[in-house]
Amino acid sequence: MGRYVIRRLLQALLTLGIVLFLLHYLTALSVQIRGNPALLFFGGDRTPDPGMLAQVERLYGLDNKCYERVGDPCLAPFVDRLQNFVQGDFGTTLNGNRDVGQLLAIYIPNTLRLFIFATLTLVTVAMVLGTWAARHRGKFIDHTVRGTTILADSIPVFLILLSYVYIVAVPLTRWARDIWGTESFMGQVFRPNYNPDWPWVTIIVPGIIVGTVGLATMTRLIRASQLENLGSDFVRTAKAKGLKPMRITIVHVIRNSMIPIITGIGFLFAFMLSGAVLTEGVMGIPGMGRMIFQAVQRQEGNLVIVGLTVSAVVVVFVSLIVDLLYAALDPRIRYE
Amino acid sequence: MAETVRVIGDTLPGADFNSPLLEVDDLHVEFRVRGRRIPAVRGASFTLEQGRTLAVVGESGSGKSVTSQAIMGILDTPPATITGGAVRLHGVDLLAQSEEVRREVRGNHIAIVFQDALSALNPLWSVGFQIGELFRVHRGTSRKDAKLKAIELLDQVGIPDAKNRVGHYPHQFSGGMRQRVMIAMALALDPEVLIADEPTTALDVTVQAQIMRLLKRIQAERRMGLLLITHDLGVVADVADEVAVMYAGEVVERAGIRDAFKRPAHPYTKALLRAIPRVDTVGRELEVIGGLPPNPARLPGGCPFHPRCFAAEDKCRTEVPPWVEPAASHGSRCHFAEEVYTDER
Repeated sequence: MGRYVIRRLLQALLTLGIVLFLLHYLTALSVQIRGNPALLFFGGDRTPDPGMLAQVERLYGLDNKCYERVGDPCLAPFVDRLQNFVQGDFGTTLNGNRDVGQLLAIYIPNTLRLFIFATLTLVTVAMVLGTWAARHRGKFIDHTVRGTTILADSIPVFLILLSYVYIVAVPLTRWARDIWGTESFMGQVFRPNYNPDWPWVTIIVPGIIVGTVGLATMTRLIRASQLENLGSDFVRTAKAKGLKPMRITIVHVIRNSMIPIITGIGFLFAFMLSGAVLTEGVMGIPGMGRMIFQAVQRQEGNLVIVGLTVSAVVVVFVSLIVDLLYAALDPRIRYE
Repeated sequence: MAETVRVIGDTLPGADFNSPLLEVDDLHVEFRVRGRRIPAVRGASFTLEQGRTLAVVGESGSGKSVTSQAIMGILDTPPATITGGAVRLHGVDLLAQSEEVRREVRGNHIAIVFQDALSALNPLWSVGFQIGELFRVHRGTSRKDAKLKAIELLDQVGIPDAKNRVGHYPHQFSGGMRQRVMIAMALALDPEVLIADEPTTALDVTVQAQIMRLLKRIQAERRMGLLLITHDLGVVADVADEVAVMYAGEVVERAGIRDAFKRPAHPYTKALLRAIPRVDTVGRELEVIGGLPPNPARLPGGCPFHPRCFAAEDKCRTEVPPWVEPAASHGSRCHFAEEVYTDER
């Protein structure tokens, strides 16, 4: 078990290193090909004073000669940046000169909250529906579950979001406030936008909406893997032992069908990031998705790199967790 | 560990100890596939007494495994349906009982050992957990005590170093050891009936003999009734007290082991026995039974064995043979049972 964990940990670090380098190399290439982003600081059209340009270049770490040679991997600035990241220095924004580290301290928790609610929704709903459909295979319930989840999945997230924000949210909030008052859980939970005073409560509904992304995939995955286990010999053994159907499902079916499900969750996590960009934009949640989107729009290279680094760390971390969960669930992997 | 005294009537209301241990009476099982009804068992009857071994012999598809699963009550319904007959344990018809009573019967009174222990054991739980589960669910034993019981059982079925092995997973055992784990699990709650559904088919020949010896020893120690489902007549000769031969979903012959081997009363049994290699047939070509077992969806009319039978006559094609007893407790479903028995055919 120990060796397995160490091996997976080293693999995760290696993956992260490769991702960060690729990210750096692509930004370096874009500077080399598209030209100096420091010029943007002066408004783009005007030719700035060379002394001032050099100062701005130094400020944003663009003063290295490698940025003038197309194809140069620019290792020195890469190492510099990694060192800064390790020391907790994420640079400043071009627009407003704010400390990126402080922005992250606000944005990351918000996106995390969104992901927590989204994952909870996805897993519980898909688990219940998938298990239910599997137990009633080929019957009305099975077809209904499959039809409904595909319907939910084929409506784009932004459509669900917009119809919630513009049609449902306001009357629902008004109704809730009449009964429970504004400063209460119920008065806040249906709000069409984020409220920094209620960071957890106002992210519940957006989280649920993001959680519908991949619901059909997940439900079918759960249904299929449970069916496979329901028909297996060891379930027959469990029946022969006189266990109740509930216990058979919980002890002998769910755990055995967890492996493809966990793979699915890890995979959908990356997908949810794209859902987060839309949701955070529409619902006005100051989170990582919105930050990356705006950074790309404003050509803030540093912010893009920081944002993508954070998301890369999250994805690599999640797949590490998935690998460790495999081992926790399946002894055959543990003793490999 | 305090031993609890077990009263069979607690878990099986109405049990009558004067009636036979297990009685299968005219059992009918059908499979419904796409609106068609395919008979898998068509009137199987046999009786198993305490401390005896009854071998149910037949080719694949003869309905012997379906019969054993119907006795356990673990058939998948649908597609299977039990359309008639009775399965009586201590005189109580199990088929008429509620699902709760049947669950209590499973494991407590009747237990089963399956053919392929690798797939019959859950790969994700330790063998100790899977054996202990029976005590925890049926007896409310604590996790710790259940584990001690599991160690005791593993020790009884001859698994060395049971204290350590109890925490191991099925894939860490060899084939023979895994089958011993299966047997330990079946024995956990001290059932009166043990069904062994081809317990040695997936094993090496040398290991097969060990497992059969183990089953025999345990059966003698615990005075269990052993229902041995097999297609291997060699195994039957060593272990069984009685034989029920199944063909196309029905019991075609039932007899004591010596009688069945010496003087079979059904042409099918006779042909099967001739097909066993023996010392005195060395160098000669083995006899075989021509043709294939019938498709249960399209059974031949009359006696289902007639297309392959050496003794078949016209009436075999049209008339279903009655149950005939050419000798005491020796029955056969053949028009010519007497002649086959006396070796005139």
